[in-house]
Amino acid sequence: MSDKLNSELTSRRASVSASLKTRANSIVKSEDHATPLELVDITIHYGGGKGGSEPVNVVDNFNMTLHAGEMHCVAGRSGSGKTSILTVGAGLTLPTSGRVLWEGDSLETMSDDEIADRRRALIGYVDQGGALIDGMSALENVLLPAVPDGEVEQRREMAKDLLDLVGLGRRMRHRPSQLSGGERQRVAIARALILGTRVLIVDEPTASLDRQSANRIIGILKDTTNDGIAVLVASHDHELVRLSDTLTELN
Amino acid sequence: MNAVQRFIRSRVLLLTAAILIIAMCLSILVQGQSQAALNRTVDENSRGLYDILVRAKAGNSSGTGALIQPEIASGQGGISFEQLDSIRGLGGTSVAAPISLVSRVTQNLETPRLDAMDYLGYNAGLVGTATVGQPDATDASKWPAAESVLSDKPKTYRLTASAVSSDGVNEQTLFKTSAEGSLGKGRVIEEQTPGGKSTRIAGPSGETGIKFPAPAGGSEHNLFNLSVALPLAPQVTESVVAVDPAAERALLGSAGDFLTPLEKAPPADARNAGAIGRYFESLFTSGIGMDQLKEGPDFLGVKLKYWAPLMTQYQQAKRNGQLTADSQAIPLIVRSGTSLDLKYSVKIEEIDGSGKVVQDLGTVTRSLDKDYLPFVSRSPFALAWPGSTDHSQLLGNGAFGQGLYNPAQWSTDFAKAPVYKDGEDAANGAASKTATPGEWVTVNRLPDKASNGSAVDQTQRKPVDERSYREGLETGKKPATPLPIVYGTFDPQQVKDAAGDVNRLPLGGYDPTPMTLSKGADGKDAGNAALKPSLSATGLVSQSAGAITDFYGLAAARGYDSNANVIDAVRVRAKTAGTWKQAQPEVEKLANEIRAMGLEATVVAGSAREDANIFVPGYKKDDAGKETDLGTVQQSWVRQDAADAVSGSLTGTNLTLLFLALCGATLLTGASTVSYIRQRRTEAGILRAMGWTQKKIRSWVLEEFGVGAGLLAAAGVALSLLSWNLATIIVSVTVLAIYVTAALLAAGQLKHQHVIDQEPQHDERLITIDSPLTFANRQLTTHRFNSISLAVAVGVFGSAVGALISVLIDIPRAAGASALSGLAAASIAVPSILLAFSGVLVGLLLTLVTGRFELQAKRQYIGTLQAMGWNPDMLGQVRFFEHALVGTVALPLGVLGALALGLALAPYAALWAGLAGLIAVLCWIPIATKVVK
Repeated sequence: MSDKLNSELTSRRASVSASLKTRANSIVKSEDHATPLELVDITIHYGGGKGGSEPVNVVDNFNMTLHAGEMHCVAGRSGSGKTSILTVGAGLTLPTSGRVLWEGDSLETMSDDEIADRRRALIGYVDQGGALIDGMSALENVLLPAVPDGEVEQRREMAKDLLDLVGLGRRMRHRPSQLSGGERQRVAIARALILGTRVLIVDEPTASLDRQSANRIIGILKDTTNDGIAVLVASHDHELVRLSDTLTELN
Repeated sequence: MNAVQRFIRSRVLLLTAAILIIAMCLSILVQGQSQAALNRTVDENSRGLYDILVRAKAGNSSGTGALIQPEIASGQGGISFEQLDSIRGLGGTSVAAPISLVSRVTQNLETPRLDAMDYLGYNAGLVGTATVGQPDATDASKWPAAESVLSDKPKTYRLTASAVSSDGVNEQTLFKTSAEGSLGKGRVIEEQTPGGKSTRIAGPSGETGIKFPAPAGGSEHNLFNLSVALPLAPQVTESVVAVDPAAERALLGSAGDFLTPLEKAPPADARNAGAIGRYFESLFTSGIGMDQLKEGPDFLGVKLKYWAPLMTQYQQAKRNGQLTADSQAIPLIVRSGTSLDLKYSVKIEEIDGSGKVVQDLGTVTRSLDKDYLPFVSRSPFALAWPGSTDHSQLLGNGAFGQGLYNPAQWSTDFAKAPVYKDGEDAANGAASKTATPGEWVTVNRLPDKASNGSAVDQTQRKPVDERSYREGLETGKKPATPLPIVYGTFDPQQVKDAAGDVNRLPLGGYDPTPMTLSKGADGKDAGNAALKPSLSATGLVSQSAGAITDFYGLAAARGYDSNANVIDAVRVRAKTAGTWKQAQPEVEKLANEIRAMGLEATVVAGSAREDANIFVPGYKKDDAGKETDLGTVQQSWVRQDAADAVSGSLTGTNLTLLFLALCGATLLTGASTVSYIRQRRTEAGILRAMGWTQKKIRSWVLEEFGVGAGLLAAAGVALSLLSWNLATIIVSVTVLAIYVTAALLAAGQLKHQHVIDQEPQHDERLITIDSPLTFANRQLTTHRFNSISLAVAVGVFGSAVGALISVLIDIPRAAGASALSGLAAASIAVPSILLAFSGVLVGLLLTLVTGRFELQAKRQYIGTLQAMGWNPDMLGQVRFFEHALVGTVALPLGVLGALALGLALAPYAALWAGLAGLIAVLCWIPIATKVVK
């Protein structure tokens, strides 16, 4: 079973790689840019507000530099702060202290609108379970990031190709409720790549998936890395940890 | 976990029960307070001085809820004294006070004069004799030096006398007469006469004096002034009513004390005018003390302060041959002051020989005012030359005031009450009527003879026609000229105050009912100018009667010599005490007993005054005879059964508001139930998987609801016991029923439903998602149930707001147009607003609860969009468009619902309800957008 899956992954990889190189790289900047994502002395505390609850130190002085074409895995037990690091890296939440640098630019100096614009150009974020939006087909979900720039029609073919690349070419008109967990995760990855992302941040992509589905996701992520995209992934999946270029294990 | 724990854990159920209990408590509390305030206001203002108005059967017959005109004393009579005695004999009667309009009386005021100060000093003329016997005269050493406004050498003056009357809207010049002549400073002339020296005051040599046409008597010098007799003032007409003084005092209480002297008037057989006149003449000839002059001589136990006019009128009538052996003296209590606007002016100009004006000395004016007394006119119409000082008080105050000298002319023409035709009622029940014009009445006439018997120059004044809105009245035989005998005075305002402001029942002609002009003849707003009585006193405008007499006086004035049916109305107070509602059965019983006598008995307990709008046509005419309308006037009439109508209507409004608030609570319960079912469906599935039967799951749910039901029931019982009224019990039971229905519905909805996996949708008709708007549209379409639920909730909210606004707007109209309704509506305004506000609050909670159905999902996809790089502005647009689209669906529902509810509850405010519904829904959109953020 595993051999068959690996074989399939290998065959798909070539296809994904070619497509990403030809389509995504036409939008993505060249690799000689500054470091796409850098986290410097990140500390994240929760609580300790007006309610009088004790503050929880989730992450203390976390440092990480993510280079293009590199997959960095953040591993650790549940509640160790993996997702927190990812959301901080994606600019979705602010750290208690420390700096987040996107291509050398600190988020501290940016407004919410600037962060949103830069995120759209730089970061693709896939949260745990691959949150898709109900009522919209897989294709529509993939095209959603193109809405703010008004490029829905221009990116439609690319979206189809991406869905094809993640193995969902025949399911692109299905709604989230009609997709399995693995399929939803793959749609979410395709959605994250639609704008020619240079950093893909993925939270627990294989959690609650069977091995076959998990391997398929892992293959896609690896292909993405090979295409020069930096991948930051949070997971405690051994296979994913094994295949990562760098690893941070949280206590 | 037992049912109570599960109930507490289930926040939705806990919230629902709490909201229902709070809504129930507040609504009942507020409604109870509102009802109590309403009852208190109505009770305090709904039982006036009397309970039943009795009139002759042929009179103004009225049904229930009729508007009673204030002129109950019409002169029509129709009730006999035997019937009055029978009413008094009824067991339920406490007071039965009869009243009748006697007649209208025209009187000529005393000759006006213009006094030019011409004081020659203490030593001059007749001062010595003038101060003899005057204890309050100023000591001789303190008299000021001589002074005069006139010159030593006579100058020629032109005096122009005019009288202008105003009805509050139009002014009318009644006459304007000029006279010329020379006037100068007086001098003392001493002449030797046989047996001594004579001193007199005379004008300077060459003085011609000034004389107006007869009956004005010219000018003369006296001790302090040069006095010029002016043209007669216009005639003033007054009406007289007859009452039973004792019964009237019982009716009015202390406010009727002014009638005490009238009770002491002599009986009919001791009222011969000649005998009484001779008695007062004898007082004058036998010598009358200063104290008697001041307080009035005692006449059968009453000090007659105004005895002098009676005596002079007696003398004048005797001289004119008017007095016969049948002439009676009529005892009167006369009104203090007048509302008649009559200004008498004299313009004084110095002229040269050619008639050219050398100097305008000014115009002096005098009006009828509070010092005026009908039948007495104790304050002479004296005008002062500019710069004059009145030194006459140096002689003391004991001067004999003659007052009116001509007997008044008593007439029964135009004594009947005005006739009105009904018009269309306004939305709030305000009555509209049209006055029926009667004949023209000629006023501003001069008497045939002057006081000295000489003929009067009739060419100096043009009589004026005034429109009467009353009809003539058939009476008894032509009466002998009566003489007024003034027993005292009364203040109409005090009588009015005694009658109260809200339940001001008509007491008769001496209870003034003012009128205001609301719209002119052109239909434009006239600013509610107060209309003043006209000269004839027969016009539409009314003021208090000039005098009150007793029924012997009526017989003398109207020429009755037998016990005729002359009582216009009897005001009956029932013996029973308590509020109008408590007294109602006994009052009705008494009214029925009176009706059995063949009389019209109108129950006025529970009535309130109400403004009637009366259109007055043909009010005046110009010289060409063209008639002009006055416009629309307002006058307080009496709305029968106003208390019942107000109480019933506002109680209905109270209950409507309570009902609407509870309707909101019902919908909230329904929404909460849906929310609860959504929460528990997953749990029910797990339980089913564990092997629980449907019945077991049902009872599991119902147990939780049972805890809430128990709490509601306990609250309902507690509230019912506390308030102890039916409304509370009904509300409590209704709320409990709502809750139990919701519970059963929820339990039923937990049945297992098989979910069928749908095939992929290849719907090419779907709109491409390329903007926040299209995204919002897709989300709402996807979550159709939630969207529709929310739209319905918002629509219901809009409808509720509209309905409540319409009820609030409609309260004054629903209450009616009476004075009581305004008072009652004001008393419940705050509770009503509270109830309405709570209803709106419940509606808002409903939208919040419904909005929470998908709040978690919304937050999730907003987060997803944010992660995709949608900026805050676009996310805001998504939220706004979602609510705007829901609002668009809710808008017709809210507006039409509000309109429909408005039409059902308060048709006159339906448009406002629709507008309120529209605004409520439009306001919800930005508020909800903010909340979801």
